[in-house]
Formats: sequence, C-alpha cells, structure tokens
Amino acid sequence: MPTVLVNGVNREIKAPSDTPLLYVLRNDLELTGPQFGCGLAQCGACSVLLNGKEVRSCITPLSAVAGKEVTTLEGLPARWAKQKKLTGPEAAHVLHPVQQAWIDEQTPQCGFCQNGMMIKATELLESTPSPTIEQIKEAFTKSGPSPHLCRCGTYTAIIESVQRAADIMARSIL
Amino acid sequence: MTGTLETLAQGQQGTNVDVFGASLSRRGFVAAGGALLASFVLVRSSSAQEETPSMRGIPTSKLSSDSFIEIHADNTILIRTGKSDTGQSTVFTAYPQIVADELYVRFEAITTVISGDTDRTPDGGGTFDLLGHGMPNIRKAAAYVYQAMLDVASKQLNVPKDQLSVKDGIVSGGGKSISYGDLVKGQQLNLTIPVMGDIHSMFGLMVTGNPPLKPVSQYTVVGKSFPNSSVVSKVSAKETWVTDVRLPGMLHGRVIHPKTLGSKLVSAGTLDKSRFPNAQVVVKGNLVGIVAPTEWEAIKASQQVASDTKWSDWRGLPTDARLFDYLKEDADWKSVPAATSKESKGDVAAALASSPKKLKTIYQRPYLKHAPIGPTMAVGDVRPDGSIHVHGHTQNPQALRTEIALMLGVSPDKVTVHTYAGAGHYGRSNGGNAGAEDEAVILSQAVGKPVRVQWMRNDDLQWSTQSSCAFAEVELAIGPDGKLTGFQIDHYMPAMQDDRPIGAILAGLPTMPAPNEKGSLFGMRNQPSDPWLYGATPAVLERAHGGPQIGQASSPINVGLRDHSLRTPVQYQQNFPRELAITEAAYLAGADPLQFRIDHATEKRAIAVLESARDSSGWKTRSGFANGSGPTKQGRGVSLMMRGGAYWACVAQVTVDTNTGAIKVDKLTMVVDPGIVINPLQLKRQIEGGAVMGVSMTLREELRFNDSTITSSDWISYPIATMADLPEIKVILHHHPEVGSYRQGSEAASALAAPAIAGAFFDATGKIARRLPLKPAYVKTLLEA
Repeated sequence: MPTVLVNGVNREIKAPSDTPLLYVLRNDLELTGPQFGCGLAQCGACSVLLNGKEVRSCITPLSAVAGKEVTTLEGLPARWAKQKKLTGPEAAHVLHPVQQAWIDEQTPQCGFCQNGMMIKATELLESTPSPTIEQIKEAFTKSGPSPHLCRCGTYTAIIESVQRAADIMARSIL
Repeated sequence: MTGTLETLAQGQQGTNVDVFGASLSRRGFVAAGGALLASFVLVRSSSAQEETPSMRGIPTSKLSSDSFIEIHADNTILIRTGKSDTGQSTVFTAYPQIVADELYVRFEAITTVISGDTDRTPDGGGTFDLLGHGMPNIRKAAAYVYQAMLDVASKQLNVPKDQLSVKDGIVSGGGKSISYGDLVKGQQLNLTIPVMGDIHSMFGLMVTGNPPLKPVSQYTVVGKSFPNSSVVSKVSAKETWVTDVRLPGMLHGRVIHPKTLGSKLVSAGTLDKSRFPNAQVVVKGNLVGIVAPTEWEAIKASQQVASDTKWSDWRGLPTDARLFDYLKEDADWKSVPAATSKESKGDVAAALASSPKKLKTIYQRPYLKHAPIGPTMAVGDVRPDGSIHVHGHTQNPQALRTEIALMLGVSPDKVTVHTYAGAGHYGRSNGGNAGAEDEAVILSQAVGKPVRVQWMRNDDLQWSTQSSCAFAEVELAIGPDGKLTGFQIDHYMPAMQDDRPIGAILAGLPTMPAPNEKGSLFGMRNQPSDPWLYGATPAVLERAHGGPQIGQASSPINVGLRDHSLRTPVQYQQNFPRELAITEAAYLAGADPLQFRIDHATEKRAIAVLESARDSSGWKTRSGFANGSGPTKQGRGVSLMMRGGAYWACVAQVTVDTNTGAIKVDKLTMVVDPGIVINPLQLKRQIEGGAVMGVSMTLREELRFNDSTITSSDWISYPIATMADLPEIKVILHHHPEVGSYRQGSEAASALAAPAIAGAFFDATGKIARRLPLKPAYVKTLLEA
C-alpha cells in the first residue's frame, strides 16, 4: 500500500497504483481543491505541487508520487507557515499570500480554474519572488504541459494577483 | 381581510395590514428570537404558461413558502433568490447591495444569501438579466419590507410613519428610536408580497405592485466595491462545489455517448467482469451508462465497454468546411416567417438604387461552444419514497425540475434541485437548463442508488449544445455627403433554444419538443435583437430569419447540432455583422469609423460612450487606412452596442504579422454606461473577463465537425484564449445615477471585441475579414488575395 506525504501528513492509499492522483485526492483523501477539467493535462484545473513542482494530477498515477511530497490548495497555508516558521494561532489562521492576493484582487469569476492558477503562482513565486508580467505570462502558458486555461477570462486579474502576492511575500520577510 | 395597525398591534392573528398591496400580519409570538418574513402570494396566473414551449403539459407544482427576505431579532438579514450564481457574483454582491439600500441598512447586515435550490427559494427564473432591467424581484421585495418595517415601527413608537427615518437599521422619529431587530423581537411577522407568473418558466415569478422605492440620490451602498463573499471560500478550498457532492452509497457514473449525432445503439459492449468486478452497465434506449463504486473503475470500465459498443452510422451534417455554403444554399429559412425590426424605416431599395457608393456582402460566424473548464456533472438520487433529488450547477433550477419531472412522468413536487458552485457555462449548455442531471437521474433510477455522472472533456465538447452559427447579408449605400442613405441587413440563424436534456432524448424518455415551427416565444423563429443605433440613417431594413437546427430532422435520434444560448445570445450573432458593415461603410465613405458612428448616432448615451472610447484609447481621428509599411502592421477598430439598456463601445488596437497571418490584440478599451454602476470593482472584473472571452471567440474559437459528428473533443481541437493572448484591457465605467436604474453591465463584454478586432485588421491591412474566427491560415489567404 503506497504512502504519500500529502500536505505534511503521511497518508496510506488503498486505491490501485494506476489511479490518477486527482481521484485519490478528491475521493479518497477528500482534498477537493484540485478540480477535474480535462483529464488530459490540457487545462491545469487539477494542478498540485509535487516536491514543489507543479504537476497535473489528472494524468499523474499514484505510483509516480509514492514517497514524494504533494501539496494541494488546502496545504498552501501550512506550506507558507512552515516556510515563514510561523507557529500557534498565527500559523492556524494565515492564508498563503497567493490566496490572500486572490481575495484582495477579487480574482475569480466562477473560480473553477483558480486552484491551478494559485498552484502555478505559488510555484513561480517560490523560484522568482518578483516576476515581471512577461515572466508571469511565460509561467502560465509555457512552463507546464499546457497553458492554464480560464473560460471566464480572468487573466488580467491573475497577473495583478501574482504581483500583489509577490508584494505580500516581500513585505513578510521583515 | 384587511385590518388596521391597531389590530396588528393588539396581536390578533389572521388580521392583515395593507402595505402598498402587500399584506402584513402577525402569525404569533415566540419565546426566543423573532423575525419578519417576506414571502409571496400568487395574484394571478400568467398567460406566459401557454406561450412557454417548455411548459406544455406540466402541472404547476406547489410553491415554496420560503421568504424573499427575513429580518431577524439579532439585526441580521437573510435574502433568497431563485437565480443561481454562475460565477459573476451578482447574487452575492449586487443583490445584497440593492437590498441594503432599500432597507437602509449596511451591506454587512445581509449575512446570508440563499440562491437556486428549488426547495429553499421563492421565485424561480433563469440566471440571466440578473438586474431585471433595473427592477429585480429582490429590489421590490425589499421596498415592501421597508414599508412594512415603517408601519410596525410607527405603531411601536407611536410616531406617524411619515415622520420616521431609518439609518443603519435604526428607525428614528419623534425623539425615539428602535432597531429592526427590536421591532421583530419576540414575534413572527409575515409580509405577503404579490407576485405573478409561472415559477417553472424561464422567467420565473415576478414581484408586482409599486411600493415606493428609495430615491437613487440617497443610495449609500449601491455604487461601492463590496467583495464577493464566495471568493474567500473558493480560494481557501472551503467551497462545496457541485463536484464535491458525495452521498451515502453513491456510485460513480460515466456515459458512453453515440458514435455520431444520429447513431442508434446496435449493441452495448460487454463488460469485462474480470477486470471490473464492481462495475455495472445500464442501457436504456440509446443511452449507455456505466456505474462503479470508484471513479477510476467507472472511467476504465466505460472505456472498455465503449470500445466494444456498436452504433449505426449516420451522415447528416454538412461538415464545418461546407457550413456557410450549406446555410446559404441548402438550409430551410422558409418554414417560419422572418421578423422585421421596429426600427426599420424608409425606402431602402430606393436608397440603394440612387446612391453611387454601395456595398453588398455577407458576414459569417461559426458555431461556438460554451466550453466550461469543468465538464458538466451532476448527482442524481432517485429515492425509494419516489422523491428525486438532483445536485447540480444549473442555470435555471425550477425549469430543470420540470424537465426531470416530465422525463420521469411525475409531478414536479417530487423533484428537488440543489444547486452548487460550478464551472461557468455562460449560458445553457445542455438541455436548456441541465448538465448531466438527466443522465444521473436515469442511472440512479436504474441502479437504485445515488449516481454521480461526470462528463469527460470530449463528452462536454461533443454532446453539449452549441451557440448557433449565423450569417448576415448586408446591403448599404453612401450618399454624396458621405452619409449612409440606406442600410439593409438580413440575419440568418438556426434555432437556438433547444431545451431537451440529451440523456432523456437518448433514453427515449419524454422531453419538451425540439425547436419547431410553433412556439411564439422561440421555436425556430429568429428575432432582431441588436437595437439599431444609427438613427440618422434615413432608410433601414433589418430582418431576422430562423430555421431548424442543422441535422436534427434527418437524425434518427432527433439530435443533430443542438443549440442553446451563450453569453449575449442572438445579439452577438447580429452585432458582429452590423458593426463590421458600419466600419466598411465608413471606409467606403472616406470617413473615420468612430466619427462616422458618432455622426450617425442619435442617442446621447451612444454618442457619449463612443467619445469616451475615442478619448480614453488615444484614438486619432483620420480617414483612410493606417497604411503602415513593413511586414508588421498596426490598426485600430471600434464597435458599438446597446444591450438591456446599457450602452457599450469598444476600441481594439491590433498588430498583424503579415508573414504568419497572426493577429495580436494589443489593447482593448471597453466603455460601458449601464446607468447606475452597482459595484465598480466587480463590474470591472466581469468586463475584463468578457473582453478576454471576446478575444478568444474572435481569434481562436470555431466548432469543428465532419459529416456525422463533432470533432472538437479537447482543448487542442477547440482552443480558447490563453494568457499569452491577453491584451492590455482598459475598462471605463460611466456611472449615470440620473438614468435612475441599473442595467446589464457585464454580459455584452464578450460581444464587442469581434467587430472591433476585425475592423482593426481592416484598418491595418486594407483587407476585410468577414468570417470568424480570424485564424492565421484564413488571414493569410486574405492577405495573399
């Protein structure tokens, strides 16, 4: 029975090893941040971080993640708290700066794709703390197996949110 | 019976106080809490029932007694609406803002919004025109409640009603004051509001009467950028999406859709029980479904069974390559009468005959998809007691309820539709109001357990409805003074409002009729839907021609290319040719296309948005083409629209790579005057998104199909815009309180881009692109012609 480190907790999974991670997360672990969009790695709605790198959970079999660290949307606050060494109530109540920026900017319309957008933003900001608009566009269109798609067309808001998240993260270094 | 405030104050139950036609009564005293509940009474049945095709033969169900608005003893306020939130936040932002202003309370006092669920909301109605042309139900309901609260306070404070005022939910007058919460404490007050209409129709029930409304000049909540409460839950993974619904004993379902849009089932494949021991095949008519306890087993089993399932062949589609030839030469436009717009006037034929500069041409728009990022899904739960529960993300829950009831031959009372957040469809992408709800119900009934049907990406693109294709024939003439002397446009579009759920069709179960010759509301008819804005034109003729859906009649399963409304429906199809033709007319006249529009427009608000678009985009007035040199050419274009009482103008600035044929939209300037702007930030976000959708539809989107089926099956074969396509978007909101009401400020944002971008390409290159989308291959053909 494979064990996967999900959002900081080791989880034993009963599902067959060829099961895509998406269904394991949503149905077995009740982590429903990642969404089913295409099952083809063409849209990004299902993204999670695997050892800090954005992957499409809809085509990633369970066997490929055994022993690795998976972070879902639900795990972003704890990921940030750990990175900032926050403890106690401070850690319990904080959102990841990316999530906070998404709220401040009122980014989602329907919001269905935004899981993947926030996962991609987190990956980007961990390697590039102050990205340019071109770097943001590059990350959301060329860095993964496909561009991250939004039917509601929230790309302007996403760019503004990534920049705001970068600001929040920069200020929190103090 | 009508009583007096005296009897109300004395607590006599059953006596009513008239409140501008609503009826206030005390139902009793309560030990704890207390509330005023504003529910409704149906004052008369609507004649709309006969006119709505979807309603034929369906009995009206018992109405929910749930209130529109509740004022609680703790000073919190709850509102309910039958409309769903499909992602634009109106029910979470504009609706509470409207109610808060009418009740003279703070936005934050509205603590709960319940929307959509058929058992918990009072008024029904589809999720469109959310602002109700300035008078959504919730506004009038709030106005009644305000008057009732004044009546109650007047009695309690012993101060005449006209001497009372309210601020932040505190009623004051005669040196005394009391909060709304204290006014209702310990009692249950009922306010019965008059409504009319049919809850299951696309319009739902409508609040009637004329309670006094708060003067617009006194608005303090409307006009401010309050946040959307659902954003926090969505961003922090706390939202319960429709995709998250899990019921005890629920099975995962997948549906194997037919090989073509006209195929009948020959034989369902045999399930390999050795590989999929827990899966089960369900066959009903031409509907083949698989259920299994786990999602992965359902997916794999459905793939295995699909590979072994035999379908009859059918070839009844014209193919995408022949689409516009088919529409022009072969399609039936004679079975229903054409409709002429009320703005048509003058003698166009004479104008065309006498003017030397003329244009006669055709504009074409392909089929588009709703293409939600999440394919449609639903959970059906047919219970042993005969009740049917549907969990979905639906545009019109009450209408879906009747569709399910009709399908199973039960009363709508047996059906409850629960709505959740879901992926945005921007219209009605299957069966009018349904996603996979009908299929989930059919499978649930077959296996006796709740079933969750999730469409895969290809199901969604190949088996949901399309946004109708269209073409328009235009003839126009320019007089010696450089002005339009005549403008004639004939719009052709196959029927759009197909309300039939696909699962019910495939299973051979009852549905509403397909769009046909009958039906005064929609049927096969087309309507002029793009208000003419160039009133200075002496002769105008606008006609709309409708016809059957393509392939439906010859499809043995009566399917073909089903169509249903997508953002700015019908008007998108009509505004693109109209506006691009006006741009062509301007160049023909040797005029600047923006100034040409101003010179022909007669409505002040239309002229104002054009001037605003000109000034805020840096548009320099000139005649003739941009005439850039070199392989990369730049141009600008403009478009104009009035929809639902809101005026729109758009300026597009583009760069054309003449080597590749690629068009890059550099900047879109979107100007809207909706009258009153309710929430500037939310409206700006909605318009930015709509502008991107417009770019997507203009440059990328086109349904692909062969002679038998839809071949757009994924995001490669149905591409939509990515962040790489994102132009700079400048949004200008014109707030005009003197208009006195708020109109649709969001929807049409999707439609402005196409004629503006095509106009900009014309300006850049001198070549006209009259067919969407403007893909590089098509653009190259034009450039090389």
